[in-house]
This record gives sequence, structure tokens and C-alpha cells, in this order.
Amino acid sequence: MKKVLITLSVLIFVSLSVFANGQKESAEVKQDENVVLEWWTWDPDLKEKNQEIIAQYESEHPNVTINNTIVSTKEYWTKIRILANQNKLPDVFTMSSSTLEEWAENDLVLELDSFIDSDNTRDVFYSDLLEAVKDVSKTEHYYALPFALVTTTLYYNKDAFDAAGIDYPDDDWSWDEFRDAAKKLTIDKDNDGKIDQYGFWFYGRYAHVESWVYANGGRLINRDTMRFDPDEAALEALNMLSDLVLVDKSAPSQKDMSSIRQQDVFPQQKAAMWIDGSWNIDNNRNVSDPNMNWGIAKVPTGPSTDKGLTYAWTDSYALSPNTEHPQEAWDFAKYVAGEGVDLGMYLAGKIPSFKALTESEAFADPSKLPAEMNVLKEQAASEMRTSFTKGWSEWRGYGAAEALGFNGLIDGVINGEISLDEALVKGEKSINTVLARYYK
Amino acid sequence: MKNKKLLWHGRFTPWLFLLPTIIGLIVFRIVPIVWAFVLSFSQWSLLGSPKFIGITNYIEAFNTDTFIQTLFNTVEFSIYYVIGSIFFGLLLAVLINVKLKSIAFFRAIIYLPVVTSAVAVGIVWNWILGPNIGLLHTILESLNIPTAYWLGDPKIALRTVAFVQVWKMAGYSMILFLAGLQGISAQTIEAAIVDGANSVQRFFKVVLPMLAPSVFFVLTISIIDSFKNFELIYAMTKGGPQNATNTLVYDVYLNAFVYYRVGYAAAVAFVLLIFVGLLTIMNFYIRKNWARPLE
Repeated sequence: MKKVLITLSVLIFVSLSVFANGQKESAEVKQDENVVLEWWTWDPDLKEKNQEIIAQYESEHPNVTINNTIVSTKEYWTKIRILANQNKLPDVFTMSSSTLEEWAENDLVLELDSFIDSDNTRDVFYSDLLEAVKDVSKTEHYYALPFALVTTTLYYNKDAFDAAGIDYPDDDWSWDEFRDAAKKLTIDKDNDGKIDQYGFWFYGRYAHVESWVYANGGRLINRDTMRFDPDEAALEALNMLSDLVLVDKSAPSQKDMSSIRQQDVFPQQKAAMWIDGSWNIDNNRNVSDPNMNWGIAKVPTGPSTDKGLTYAWTDSYALSPNTEHPQEAWDFAKYVAGEGVDLGMYLAGKIPSFKALTESEAFADPSKLPAEMNVLKEQAASEMRTSFTKGWSEWRGYGAAEALGFNGLIDGVINGEISLDEALVKGEKSINTVLARYYK
Repeated sequence: MKNKKLLWHGRFTPWLFLLPTIIGLIVFRIVPIVWAFVLSFSQWSLLGSPKFIGITNYIEAFNTDTFIQTLFNTVEFSIYYVIGSIFFGLLLAVLINVKLKSIAFFRAIIYLPVVTSAVAVGIVWNWILGPNIGLLHTILESLNIPTAYWLGDPKIALRTVAFVQVWKMAGYSMILFLAGLQGISAQTIEAAIVDGANSVQRFFKVVLPMLAPSVFFVLTISIIDSFKNFELIYAMTKGGPQNATNTLVYDVYLNAFVYYRVGYAAAVAFVLLIFVGLLTIMNFYIRKNWARPLE
């Protein structure tokens, strides 16, 4: 019996040793095994930059291979939705603030809380932007790592301001001062009865309208009921905008500017002021006359608030919930959102979420316009809002639906086809029909 | 004498040659059509699995003001397009049905828009019809003729897009009418001249009745074509202003690929299918009973 026990003990010991050794070896093998990560992005212009990043990353991580697929924005969401449907999502992929809520709700993005809490993410990325991503997901978790913030800003033509003898906008500019300036800047240069330069211009586009609503501390969507329910501050902003066209005549109707690409109206000097996304800085630099002097300023704060909200949202990287290599995917996502990229990866005006990039001198390059790039940093540090909801592109009227939805209604108002009150009644019905589909 | 044993496959041979087409037809047409019909009873955003919701999508469509407007827009666009393409196609065919040295050049020029990308056509016409800096605006203004917001005014935007579609496709109708015109024998025309018919009488009493098969062929093709107006609307108006140029086919695109309401988009697509189907049946009925060429 004793012999049997000794033999059994030896056998168990040997087996355990072999098993443990095997485990150790397999762990070593796993550490060295070749990991292939699929990385999907939406900007074809960055193909070469992406390859440089990959080459650098692979040289630092010899066991990791990265495959980059770039799909243009128009097709990106359809393709990636199909992949999601087939459980074939890439390990790391770009994610928009407008869709994160829906994706998080459907468990199609990996929750990143444990990664963010276990390393230096909060130190090297702006925590405000991490919170902004959490906010748009409408959960208490982080489902994406932001790589950039985009916000809206007031573009103004300094030459036009100088010619009209008006002081440049500053942080204290009121809406009345803005309206006065817009009137003075509306000029028929050749006295042919036609306006050659409008003081301001906008149409129903989200970036053109919501910027004013938030600058007045207002809201279009009631987040408690998730219904279209513009408050007094929002109505004040919408009234002010329609008055610019219909009363002051300091801004054109939408149809008057429809034959010019919307992003070219300001750099072509058809309007002296314009509010749109900060990423347009790049287009302004490329399209405007090299001698045109222009700047940017904060959207003027409205009369209903002491401190307006900033309209801003993030672009992020999300991880597949089915990735076989979550740690490696996270490491790579963090790399391409931060230390692995330079400012060349960002359209001028996009604010990197990686502190070292935004705080570098190159971000506010004094040799390039606008001279006020630091305004963007200040905006990024202020309280932010977006109007993104599920069904946003439908009720807001975005992309191929730009002439429809709320966008189309505001266009109808400034084109003189319907009154603002009628537009709001129509909007309440149609927008809430869309929202009711998603929020019971 | 041939060995019959070696020809055992004889009755399968035609099927063998037909097989690639049949497989293509089943895989790329029949299955998607059936699947789309099934999807029209579901709610599906491409994420997750389709959820069966019965006829809710159809009920929603017919209870929505914008869908009803879209339906009317589709019919209105179709009427403008069909009349326009028959009228201008016939007019151009008659004009170029002459024996001139350079006539092939003119035929090619008129046909050119047919083979030009609809998006390119849309971009060019957007510029021509644009306010303030548009070519048409500039010409009309220089002649002191009042101009309009051709694409920005909800009252005329649909007609403007339909006109551009007619401009693009009139060359195709022209070719079909030209073939019909050249099929009319010279003796018949000469007989009409001998009988004292003037040119107007000859056209309406002889040429047009003999063109009846061509007219009805163009009518059928134009009706079907009139529902395929996606590219121009995408390039020129994006369904606006105020939903004025939104048509069923554009609505299918918006719902399927912008809003990701695939089930609803499939329902709209089937409304469109029923619509086109009914018109085609009606067309064939008319052709069978009333559109016989003179014998």
C-alpha cells in the first residue's frame, strides 16, 4: 500500500510539474506568438501616414502585425455594420460620437474601463474628452478612446473688420454686438444693388445652428424625455438666426448661397463671419486668398446665460468585443490615439486628445493663420454639449439627407417659405416621430 | 453513324449552357428580391438580427405625410419625364432623320449625355442653374429676364430635376424613334405626297401611326426609367427643398444607407415595385389593344 501511495505521489508530482512547465511554456509561447490586429479607419488621405505608424509600431512590437483597411466615410458605416452583424468587427476601428450610443447599447464595442483605470491613460489624454465619450454613450462606462476633439468656432475676416472699423470679436462679445457688426459688414461694394459681402452666413446645418443654441445655454432635445423640446434659450437663438436673414438682411438665404460649396463661402469672402467646425481651418488655409487675414473666436455667449456651452464632440477608437487580443488591441489603440501620431495626422483645427500634441508649440504654429489657435484649447476645456441621439442623421438632416429633417426646416425658414413657428410645429411632429422609434 | 451512348447528355446540354445565367439570376435577383420582401416585415438596422414586426412598416409609410408627398413626387416626376422624353426624343429623331454628311456627328453629340455619368451631369447642371453665379442666371439677367431659384424653390425644383433627366436621356429615345422612322418605307411617304398630303398631315396621319410600336416601346422604357432617378437627385437636390424632390427610390436609399432602417426601406422598395409593375401591366394592355402599327 505504501509503495502504491509513494508511486501515486511521484506520478502526481511529475504530472503537475510537467503540466506547470507546459503552462509556463505556453505562456511564453503566447507572449511571443504573432498577433495580427485588424485596424479600420475612415480617412483615405491618411493611407501613407497610417503605413508609417504601422511600420514604427511593428518595429517596436515584433510579434504584432497590423492590417489597416481604409474605407471612405460614405461607405464606412454600412461596411462596418455588416461586419458587426457577422461578428467580424476589426480589433480596432474608428468610432463616431453620433453612433457610439447605439453601438454600446448593442454590445458591439468593448468596455474599456479596466484598461483606462489600469494605466496612465488619464494622465496622457485629456480627461474631459474621456468624459465626453462616456457622455455620448449615455452609459457610465468608457466605450471608446478619443483621438480628437472637434468643436465649432467663429471665423471672421480681419480685413473686413478693419475696413469697417470694427473691433475684433473677443470672449465678451454679446449677441447685440455681433448683430451690429454683421449689419456693418454687409456691403454692396460696387453699388449694383446686390450684396457682395454679407456680414454672416449660415443655413440649417447642425454646426451652424446648434452652436448658437448651446452658446445661449439652450437645448433642442430634452435629455430626460428624449424628445425634441427646444427651451426658451434655444428659441431665442433660432429667432436671432432667422432675424439675421429676414429682418437685418445681414445674412443671405440658404438658396442664395447654394451654388457655392458651403465651406468655401467664408474663404471666398462672400461672408465676413461664419460659424462651423474647427476642422475647416485647413480648408480656409487652402481656399482663401493668401493675402486674406482671418481669425477665429469663441461663439458669442447668448443673453440667457453667463457662460455658454461649447458645441463639441470627439472622434475615437473602439475595440471589438470579440477581439482575441484585447490587451494588444488596447495598446495599439492607445498608440494611434496618442504617442504614435503627430499633428500631421490631424486636419488643422482638430484638437488631439493626447495632451503632448495639443500642448506642443506646433499646434499653434505662429507662421500660419489663424493666430488664435489657442482659442480651441480653451473651448476644449469648457463645458461641452452635442445633440447626437439615435436616429440623429434622420431627424437632424445630415449627409445625403441634408436637405431634409430639421436642417431642411431651418432652410425653409430663412428661404422665406415657412415661418419659424410653423417649422417648429412641423419639426416637433416629425422629429419626435423619429425619436419615439428609438426612445420609448 | 453517331454513337448514341456518347450523346447521353444531349438533353442536358442546353441547361448546362443556361446554368451560369440561371445561377446568376437566382443568386443576384430572385433571392435578394424574396429576402427584401421578407425584410419589409421586419425592423433591422444591420446590427443584430431582423425583428419581425408584421405590416408595421407599410402602415407607417402610408400614415406619414412625407411618404405620401414622396409618392406624389414620384408620380409627378414620372409624368414630366415620360412626356418630356417622348416629345423631345421624337422631335430630335425627326430633325436628324435626314441625309447629311455630318449627321452622324450630331447624332453622337445628342446621344452623349446618355452615356455621361449622372453625377457629372448633376454637378454641371447645378452650376448652370445656380443662383447668382449660375450660367443661366447670368444670361437671363443680362437680357433683363426675371430668373428663379430653379433648384431652391420647392414649387419648381422637381420640374427642374425632371427637365435635366429628360435632357440627359432624350438621346436614347431619339435613337429608338430614329430606328422606327427609318423603318417606314419611302414608297408610303411618296404615296402620301402623291395623294396631296402636306408635311404636317404626313407626320400626323402617316408617320406617327406607323411609329405606334416605337412610341409604346419608348413609353414603357421611359416609365421604368422615370423611377430610376437616384443619381441626379443625389447630385442636385438631396431630396430638398422641403422634401420637394424626394422620390421613392431616393427614399429607399436614405432609409437603407443613411438611417439604416433596412426593413422600412424594403417596404418602400416594394411599394415602388408594385407601382412599376402595375404601370407596366397597364402599358402592355394598352399596347396589345390599341397600339398596333398600320398594316
